[in-house]
Amino acid sequence: MIRIHNTQTDKVIDREMTDAEFAEHEATQAKFAAAKAEAEAKAQAKAELLERLGITADEAKLLLA
Amino acid sequence: MATTTNYGWTTPDDTALVKDGASAIRTLGSSVDTTTKNLNPETTLGDISFRSSSANVKTRLGIGSTGNVLTVAAGVPSWAAPAGGGMTLLSTTTLTGASTTISGISQDYINLQLVITGVTASANFVTLIKINNQTTLSSYGTVESNAGTVTTNNSNNGMIEIGGASAGLSSDADNVACYLFYNYTSSTNYKVFTGTYGITKSAGGNLSGMSGGAFRSNTAMTSFVLAPSSGTFSTGTALLYGVK
Repeated sequence: MIRIHNTQTDKVIDREMTDAEFAEHEATQAKFAAAKAEAEAKAQAKAELLERLGITADEAKLLLA
Repeated sequence: MATTTNYGWTTPDDTALVKDGASAIRTLGSSVDTTTKNLNPETTLGDISFRSSSANVKTRLGIGSTGNVLTVAAGVPSWAAPAGGGMTLLSTTTLTGASTTISGISQDYINLQLVITGVTASANFVTLIKINNQTTLSSYGTVESNAGTVTTNNSNNGMIEIGGASAGLSSDADNVACYLFYNYTSSTNYKVFTGTYGITKSAGGNLSGMSGGAFRSNTAMTSFVLAPSSGTFSTGTALLYGVK
């Protein structure tokens, strides 16, 4: 379901999505799910690397400064 | 024939014949009907009326647009957008469903301010803002403080994300975001925006951030589509202000 609020008339319409709207909605959510998974994987890899090296994130920053 | 004092309606003389009574009543009734309509020209909810240049005849003034104020032009009342200064609340919208669209945005202001509060969803999410339902034309950078750690991000996703990857859980309702869109009616230039937001995270730590970017389009902004990046909206309110 989606809501459309026309500010000129103050009318609110709640209706089901059209096929095109649903496809766009699915694509958007998939895009952000992929971005979230990528960010989480990156954070996990970073944490694992720090653990292997036996240093903290602050110490890693110090090395690169 | 005798006439009434104020509206000049024709009434029978004292010497008129009884047999002419029906005709006299019909004439009087017709006059009353005409005068009443002239004094009440409104036809639609919200209409008002004012005196015209003719005695006993009023002019209808249809209801103005949301946010309009009553003013005077060429010696008669009319509706118009506020001439300058201040903010006008254009709409209050409850967020629900897979997306909520705020459409038909008045083009009578200089800037727009969008305030979004108390947003929760059926899954962990960030709130997305699509200008004119475009998914490719917004880009921006953010500076965020997340539980004391400051990060910078840039996004070319085409939509505005409130809170990015650091946003709270689906039920973290203590959140607010305020975005100002400049020169939103321009059909010749890109539009820029600035925003601030804050989220109290139930999992610990608080998030606050600043965002600035551009809607890379020469089309005037006429609508916002708000959508959660995952799930559907459970709660939330969007207030839209026109700024002079």
